Amino acid sequence: MSIVRTESLTKVYGDVGQPIPAVHDVDLTVDEGEFVAIMGPSGSGKSTLLYLLGGLDKPTSGKVWLRDSDIDALDDDALSRLRRNQVGFVFQFFNLIPVLTAQENVAIPLILDGMPRARALKQADEALARVGLADRATHRPTELSGGQQQRVALARALVTKPSVILADEPTGNLDSRSSDDVVQMLRRAVDDWKQTLVLVTHDSRVAAFADRIVFLKDGKIVDDNRLKGKGNADQIREQLSKMVLS
Amino acid sequence: MTTAHPSNFGSTVWQMTLMGLRYLRGRKLRTVLTTLAIVFGVAMIFAINLILPSMQEAFAQTMTSVTGADLTVTSVSGESFDPEAVLPTVSGIDQVGAVTGILHRQFSLPTLGNSSLGDTAQIDLVGIDPATIEDVHQFVVSDGRFLEPGDSGKALLPAGIAELAPELHVGTTFPLITAGGLKIYNVVGLMAEQGDLSSPQIYVTLADAQAAFNQPGLINTVEVSLAPGADRDAVAANIQQALGDSYTLDQGDSSSNTLAAMQVGLAMFDVLGLLALFLGAFLIFNTFRTVVVERRHDLGMLRAVGATRQQITLLIVIESLIQGLIGTAIGLLVGYLMALGMITAFGQIASNFFHRGDLSLQFSLPGLLGAAAIGLATALIAGYLPARTAGRTAPLEALRPSTPANLMHAARWSLIGGAVVMILGVLLLLTGKQGAAGGAILFLMGMVVAAPGLVIPVARLISPLLSLGFAREGDIARGNLVRQPGRAAITGSTLMIGLATLVMIAALVLSFAALINSLADANFSSDLILLPQSIAVYDTVVGADENLANRVRALPEVQDVGTMRYASSVTADGQALQVMGINPDDYSKVASFTVNEGTPEEAFAALGSDRNALFTAIALSTVGLQVGDDFVLQTAEGPQTYHVAGVANDLFTFKIAAIFISQANLAADFHKTEDVMLLINLVPGADKDAALANMQNILTDYPQFTAHLTGEYKQELADVTSGALVAFYGVAFLILIPAALGLLNTLTINILERTREIGVVRAVGGSRKQVRRIVTAEALLLGLFGAAMGVLSGVAMSYGFIAAFGTVGWDMPYFFPLAGIIAAVVVGVLLALFAAVLPARNAARLDIIRALQYE
Repeated sequence: MSIVRTESLTKVYGDVGQPIPAVHDVDLTVDEGEFVAIMGPSGSGKSTLLYLLGGLDKPTSGKVWLRDSDIDALDDDALSRLRRNQVGFVFQFFNLIPVLTAQENVAIPLILDGMPRARALKQADEALARVGLADRATHRPTELSGGQQQRVALARALVTKPSVILADEPTGNLDSRSSDDVVQMLRRAVDDWKQTLVLVTHDSRVAAFADRIVFLKDGKIVDDNRLKGKGNADQIREQLSKMVLS
Repeated sequence: MTTAHPSNFGSTVWQMTLMGLRYLRGRKLRTVLTTLAIVFGVAMIFAINLILPSMQEAFAQTMTSVTGADLTVTSVSGESFDPEAVLPTVSGIDQVGAVTGILHRQFSLPTLGNSSLGDTAQIDLVGIDPATIEDVHQFVVSDGRFLEPGDSGKALLPAGIAELAPELHVGTTFPLITAGGLKIYNVVGLMAEQGDLSSPQIYVTLADAQAAFNQPGLINTVEVSLAPGADRDAVAANIQQALGDSYTLDQGDSSSNTLAAMQVGLAMFDVLGLLALFLGAFLIFNTFRTVVVERRHDLGMLRAVGATRQQITLLIVIESLIQGLIGTAIGLLVGYLMALGMITAFGQIASNFFHRGDLSLQFSLPGLLGAAAIGLATALIAGYLPARTAGRTAPLEALRPSTPANLMHAARWSLIGGAVVMILGVLLLLTGKQGAAGGAILFLMGMVVAAPGLVIPVARLISPLLSLGFAREGDIARGNLVRQPGRAAITGSTLMIGLATLVMIAALVLSFAALINSLADANFSSDLILLPQSIAVYDTVVGADENLANRVRALPEVQDVGTMRYASSVTADGQALQVMGINPDDYSKVASFTVNEGTPEEAFAALGSDRNALFTAIALSTVGLQVGDDFVLQTAEGPQTYHVAGVANDLFTFKIAAIFISQANLAADFHKTEDVMLLINLVPGADKDAALANMQNILTDYPQFTAHLTGEYKQELADVTSGALVAFYGVAFLILIPAALGLLNTLTINILERTREIGVVRAVGGSRKQVRRIVTAEALLLGLFGAAMGVLSGVAMSYGFIAAFGTVGWDMPYFFPLAGIIAAVVVGVLLALFAAVLPARNAARLDIIRALQYE
């Protein structure tokens, strides 16, 4: 069953006179429980595609369905609720609210949804425990390492049991060890917790953990591979460099 | 808004309150600075609210009736009348039980000489008819006896007097001022009643009171008791009908020009409090606008994880509300302390001028709630606009670097809009006196609106000047400033309002001092002056009978004596007027008037005949009459028609609604023959000091008067005036505090925002000193910008307000406040330099590496 589906999705930035297409005529379907990595060189439109999928940005034309909802038809409030309940985001930068504790950061989507605070915090504790940070619940983001911060962000994405988790270069700012931790955690989210995950990265080692890799160039899908067996990083790296050079 | 948990909206709000508190704590300095303006404004307004009722009460007490009779009758004019005209009529009315006549007056006791009643500052001397008073009002005597018909020099005191004058007992004596000189009274009894200690009632026989006020045979109050079961309203209506509208039932005389003057004075403080809050609103607005920009990542992140627009708006509103709450709470506390201080200060002034020191703070719930509401509303309104902007933050903001907006377009429109408003203001300023103050305010508002558009051209204009001292840094500073014209404009506007107030006060002070001086010179041509306990509140004065003037006249050094007398009155439509009685022949030899038309001689001559009256300019505008009109004045002899013969002001009456009539008319219509002020000219070449000594010798019998050499008194007056005006300068500087905070706030924000740039400047070889100088130059630009706007609108405001004062009768000459303008520019520059110290140091001390990594 498809969780995310796009149809001729197009996003054009810039003026009318000087249009810069970021995403061009993309048809993409992500099934439930799938781990999809979107790859491509800088400026290929992969982040824009991710934002369109999550309702952070409005398409110029085309459609996005999240489960049965046509995102384009939603007003701002409904879209906010959709992001709150159906989508979990993990970004590269500025992921956490600095004045909130780890626990509160995780609980914020629930609290915004009106869940009683005590209950929201309890659920946040459970989510933190899943990412191995139960003992860091009362720490502020500045008191956590970069890898820990991203795991808090992942806990926040998990806490609402969303239809899909969208991760934008979640390891882009991390050293390799932290990066491995985070990616393995993402993999577990799919395997153990049955989440659907779409991840944007330019790191083939990260993409190697995915079930499927979509290559984007100049806003268009140029390749869509289902990986059989894991850890096929070299193959991916090769394909990537070929694309960049071509 | 429908959510999955609609019943738990509170959970979200609580979380946002927590976040707001933490954000505020995270920028302590800015929070404190922003909150201070609210503190200041709320404190001002609350303090006034605490004091005003107390002042009103203090003055209202003067007017309240004497005892707890069923009904009281007084003359509409407030003056005394013949008991035969009222008592028989009232006692003949159906269901009236008993009637009695009373003559009483509240007056201040002189502070000079021996205080006759211990610590008592003011008393209510009540003359009663012992034969009839007890039919109306029951007295319980706890010690000694009640007054008896035929008593003379006997007094009955309330039990509470023991607290003020412990040495008084039944059988002891005390002296009291009377119009006929000091008189000794014997305490014959103490009442069980504690009495009002702020103004104890001292009962004497009617005859004694009539002697004390030089009003033989007269009373000023009739007390009425009703027959059992009588219909109070019906009886009151019958009495009113029988007596006609020259008499009033149950209402104390409400004429108090002093109270009105005080209210005007205190209203000024209210205006200043509101100005401070206005500045506070600017500060909060500015801070939160910046906060929203600074926090766009956090806000965008919240949006990305599902916060709705309203929720984001709510977050910022809650945050500004927290600031408002804290500021308001502290403001109320500070206001209370300020009020305590003001009471002490006013008490001093009041006891110096009016011999009244019984002011106290009075809590009123509406006052408290009002001040709190204004403080909170300020924070709320100022926070709402940035909060709405915050609500519109796109979720993607979290993921993008800062987005520079093109603000030039908006700036141009604000310049056009502001210029239109300013032109309207100037037109209003020029067209006439009535709208002048409004025109000034309009000009100021136009300036505020136009400010964003003025930043760039003014900065360009000033920067050559700046490059004299900051050759290398000036351009960078200018660039930094014009990058955020909105923020620079708001900062400039706060400074502008502060400096404009300074300029306006300077102009008002100059003009007012000039007015006082010219009046003093015109009025005080006499050599000596005998002043009563209080000036301008003649209700509470015990003057002197003709003996004093005669004794003074008999002194060998004295050539002429002119006296002033007083009565209260109201016009036919109820406007209170102070009626001053002078004898034109005598008075013209010792004093003069400032007249609007004709000569003082003509004015004096007019008073000699018929029922002619000279009006002060304020009186004329208050009652809405023209020179030449006839009008009806309520007198103790019923309504009388007077004629407006001209306009005349003197130093003592120019700011009150007063009229001058002849003493003959005052005696005939108002039954007043007490002199409340004596002006004396000496024989040419006479020894002034000897004359003063002789005068003081006579005044040992009349301690209610003090003798002054006119020259010395003028000097004293000038000192007091400039003292009061210095206080106004103090207020202007208080207004500048929030303006300085605004500067500091903006500079701090600018530097915070540019942390990375400063890192770059340092990395490419800029020295710490250069960074500091860039910030200082930026502050100077801001200061000069604010000063330029402040001077312009200050001149407009001073012109407008002085013109507006003219419409209420204070025709002041306009003095261009050159000194004030120079002061404003200097103060603006100094404030800017002062505000720059800390941010400049912080900027210079930034660690290069960390600054480069700052986000």
